[in-house]
Amino acid sequence: MVGLSEGEKEFIKGGISQDLRADGRKRYTYRPIYIETGVIPQANGSARVRLGSTDVIASVKAELGKPSPMQPDKGKVAIFVDCSPTAEPIFEGRGGEELSAELSGALQHCLLGAKSGSGPGIDLSSLVVVEGKICWDLYVDGLVISSDGNLLDALGAAIKAALSNTGIPRVHVAVNAADEQPEVDISDEEFLQFDTSGVPVIVTLTKVGKHYIVDATSEEESQMSSAVSISVNRRGHICGMIKRGGQGLDPSVILDMTSVANFVSRQLIEKLDSEIAAAEADEDES
Amino acid sequence: MAELFLFEKQTQQNLKKDRMAAKPATTSTTYSPIDPIHKTRPPIFSNSDVDWLRPDSRSFHQCRPAFFRTGAVNSAAGSAYAEFGNTKVIVSVFGPRESKKAMMYSDIGRLNCNVSYTTFATPVRGQGSDHKEFSSMLHKALEGAIILETFPKTTVDVFALVLESGGSDLPVVISCASVALADAGIMMYDLVASVSVSCLGKNLLIDPVSEEESSQDGSLMIACMPSRYEVTQLTVTGEWSTPNFNEAMQLCLDASAKLGKIMRSCLKEAASDVQE
Repeated sequence: MVGLSEGEKEFIKGGISQDLRADGRKRYTYRPIYIETGVIPQANGSARVRLGSTDVIASVKAELGKPSPMQPDKGKVAIFVDCSPTAEPIFEGRGGEELSAELSGALQHCLLGAKSGSGPGIDLSSLVVVEGKICWDLYVDGLVISSDGNLLDALGAAIKAALSNTGIPRVHVAVNAADEQPEVDISDEEFLQFDTSGVPVIVTLTKVGKHYIVDATSEEESQMSSAVSISVNRRGHICGMIKRGGQGLDPSVILDMTSVANFVSRQLIEKLDSEIAAAEADEDES
Repeated sequence: MAELFLFEKQTQQNLKKDRMAAKPATTSTTYSPIDPIHKTRPPIFSNSDVDWLRPDSRSFHQCRPAFFRTGAVNSAAGSAYAEFGNTKVIVSVFGPRESKKAMMYSDIGRLNCNVSYTTFATPVRGQGSDHKEFSSMLHKALEGAIILETFPKTTVDVFALVLESGGSDLPVVISCASVALADAGIMMYDLVASVSVSCLGKNLLIDPVSEEESSQDGSLMIACMPSRYEVTQLTVTGEWSTPNFNEAMQLCLDASAKLGKIMRSCLKEAASDVQE
């Protein structure tokens, strides 16, 4: 919890209404984003994203599994978020559970798309090895190391970076009788890369007073009346949306927010792309 | 005449049903966001796009009949039972009661929400455990509508139980919970009516049933306060272009305005019964 005096609260609100926030940013400016990839050698792909003093890690692990009988031609992706007590003392024990569940749910909403499996984010049909028998299960884990607001956007960016860093081993399937479980040979040398250009970014618009801002710090978040997280892909389509926080919003405000999110997302996607490319280049050098 | 509701493939009988439902004079509680007789907006899909009928032979923009009844549970401060087609939900509200000692002092009231499924709610026997995601969504949908300042230091519990899951479970739970809260006499700015829309191919289907939900390409759910015209909760999945999104949102808002009226009339009925 953030303890703020009345004066500080007024300062934050006044700054936002004058389009000059406490740290000198404008309403629609993000804090500088730093991305490192390949930070966890044990995982198939990983990335660390720092957004001001918000610090998160995402890792992707791939395991061979069986596709669900309902969707034999699709792999599975699961997203979990863990809030470490190193970030906030209240996350200790079961304290972080509620926030973890909320973040996991929001990320699944925003990145995975609808039940039919079609949709944004990750192309699930590319995860199938043998239809109906073997597929890849992707476990995406997010970890909050340090929290200073806007966790969802940071986690979304980290997952995008981790996915583009992920290499899935090439699998050779032994020819076998049709109804038996086929034997597979996992290659140690050949890896397949994901096409992550379709993975959307998440933009959270936090409403403080009459205006809304992107990339709120925890001080600013404590003053919010409501927040809407919108995930937008490269084509400018909305891939998911979830409202967080209490008060109601006028429908016209929501429509306005989607167009702002659309505009902001274009810059954010560009920024992330160049950061991810730079991080990958760094990793290759070392 | 409304082309929107006159699909070539629909049988004559279905057509008759649709028109009946549209007339306010009939006793059916079916409601539709657009009055098919006095339609003003152009259809979003031409007839050539229509390639199936819905399982319960509704038209695409027609909701299931909604039924609400208050006072389902005697021991609760307020309760409500809702039935939308096969989706059956019971919600009871307890409190306001004193918040637990471990809780920090709060000058506004707390809202505690819990959504659970019965083991027999789904075709495959479920665990019947708590549904954490729905619980937090229900909490967010309601907290914007309740005047929490009216019961400081205390907690209101909202327990929802899905007796039978027949699609659009969460919207039914939210609407039913707000009727139960009103029955319990909790102060609210307005009732919360919630409606969802599924996107299948190019078509928008309002109030989807389970079969439609399992094959949907995208979904949009809105919980709103119809009289204040404010959205308290909104979730979107799947890929939406902006015009499509606007269309779906308007559809949901129109439908929830009508649903709000049904909820209100249920409460009025209950109140007049007590007076008699």
